[in-house]
Amino acid sequence: MATVTATPAAATADRGAHHASRSAAAGFLLALPPVVVIALFVGVPVVLALAFSVGFTGGLNSVVAAVGQNVHHADGAVPTFAAYGDVFTDPAFWQDLALTLGVTLASTAIVVVLAGGIGLYLRLHGGWFARLLSGVAIVPLFIPVVIASWAILTFYSADGFLRSLFAQVGLEAPVWSYTAIAIVIGSAWTSLPFAVLMIASGLQSVPDALIEAARDAGAGTARIVRTILLPMSTVPIVIAVTFTAIGVIGSYTVPYFTGPNAPTMLGVSLARYFTAYNQPQQSLVLAFVVFLAAAGIGALYVWANFRSARREGRV
Amino acid sequence: MPAPVAAALRTVGAAAFAIVLLVFVLGPLVWLGAHAFADRWTYPNLLPDSWTLRWWQTVFSDQVLGSSIQNSLLITPVVVLVSAVVCLPAAYAFARFEFPGRRLFLIGLFATNAFPRMGLFATLASLYYALGLMNTIAGIVVVQLLGTIVFMTWIPAAAFSAVPRSLEEAARDAGASRARVFFTVTLRLALPGILVGAVMAFLAAFDEAQGTYLVGAPDILTMPTEMYSLVLNFPKQVAAVFSILLAIPSVVLLLAVRKHVMGGQLAEGFQLK
Repeated sequence: MATVTATPAAATADRGAHHASRSAAAGFLLALPPVVVIALFVGVPVVLALAFSVGFTGGLNSVVAAVGQNVHHADGAVPTFAAYGDVFTDPAFWQDLALTLGVTLASTAIVVVLAGGIGLYLRLHGGWFARLLSGVAIVPLFIPVVIASWAILTFYSADGFLRSLFAQVGLEAPVWSYTAIAIVIGSAWTSLPFAVLMIASGLQSVPDALIEAARDAGAGTARIVRTILLPMSTVPIVIAVTFTAIGVIGSYTVPYFTGPNAPTMLGVSLARYFTAYNQPQQSLVLAFVVFLAAAGIGALYVWANFRSARREGRV
Repeated sequence: MPAPVAAALRTVGAAAFAIVLLVFVLGPLVWLGAHAFADRWTYPNLLPDSWTLRWWQTVFSDQVLGSSIQNSLLITPVVVLVSAVVCLPAAYAFARFEFPGRRLFLIGLFATNAFPRMGLFATLASLYYALGLMNTIAGIVVVQLLGTIVFMTWIPAAAFSAVPRSLEEAARDAGASRARVFFTVTLRLALPGILVGAVMAFLAAFDEAQGTYLVGAPDILTMPTEMYSLVLNFPKQVAAVFSILLAIPSVVLLLAVRKHVMGGQLAEGFQLK
């Protein structure tokens, strides 16, 4: 983004160096406000939460420690992992974790297949129909998540569209609401627009000349997709995958509305621990488990960007 | 495989894919929309038995629902304004300046989204009690602000960096002052991207339910938090009406900037550069 313009004369080069250091300071100061907001209202609470989860219940953690139940206190300066023990020895946690990972994998796969299909159709065929499909795929962006969850719940419920449609011809369709399948559908639904935008724009940036040259050489569509289109849009695809996965893994609203009571996603579970069971320490342990998983996925995103930047010679 | 058979299979495949996509995406919305006007609806009919507008009357004449609509429409613009003041200078800095920690800041702003929101709000509660922000509008503004920061830094930053420096330099050479160059060249050209960021920020703030609920309930309720209780306490049709109302600002705003969102401002904004 910030390129240094070449200056021929030595005097202007000198001025340029001084200017660069002053502008670095200016840039740093201008960039501070959102960083400070995040540091204060996200960074500090996260650090406090980490401390609280290992038993440091003094200072700003004292209120929540006094109000909560089953709070384990640290022995002086030695942290205690009793809260972590509470969570990891609960079989419900492992079921919830398995469900969360399964749902994340399934919905990400569905999103990539749908978005990839739309993107490829748009790139290789174009035309009004492809544009219509991509427009439809963007619609979920317009709809708040609360409404989307509720709409999907009623659509796949016992008296919903799916069951009604099959009942018209005398068949019994399954009830998907309040099961993990509804969570997968809901998560895929809400994540679709962003993935379509990323993957479609990634595929569009592949030059026509490459595709035409391959066709002239006799390559079929499948081969073009496999050897040209997909490798050249790896970065947008990775971005779509990581954003979707991170969004789904810690989600609350979709599983809360559409999913079963147990096992449920970790986002719902940690909210339940905090509000219903009044066990804030254990709730935070769950939050960190989710954060670790999401951070791992996020590292993939950073690596992908770094790789593309290096390849383009920007690093 | 002979060419006509392959072509026919391709068309059938594409048609099937299209139908699945249309039902998958639009089905739930149409189904919910029908509920908002339904009087009696017997299973397994695909359409209501009779239609009515009385659920709309129910929603509009309810005091609590009305005040939640008011709260949403008052608080959200404030959040977007605060977000713009805090984030736009930073977006400009990310685009135009090289400084130590630039990439770290960019990633850090995005990485905070990786921490599950519910977990964050649980610990934010302690800080809020200490700062006296619990159950206040300021507290709600901060909570909603957190969700808008990524949109108001990344997307405008990409828009600013897309403005060609050569244009700015040409204007400087012609004698324009820095301020004039900024307002007439840079800002003008980056405005579509900034608007997309602002719209995404508006929607993120407007739809924010979890943190707003933890901070504001039961005194200050917004439309999304009201939705949670509506779904549990009122008939399906009332929730359907409220859903349509809640979706209207999103639809209107996104239609207005649809050209820029589809044109790549959103996708461009999330590439780390």
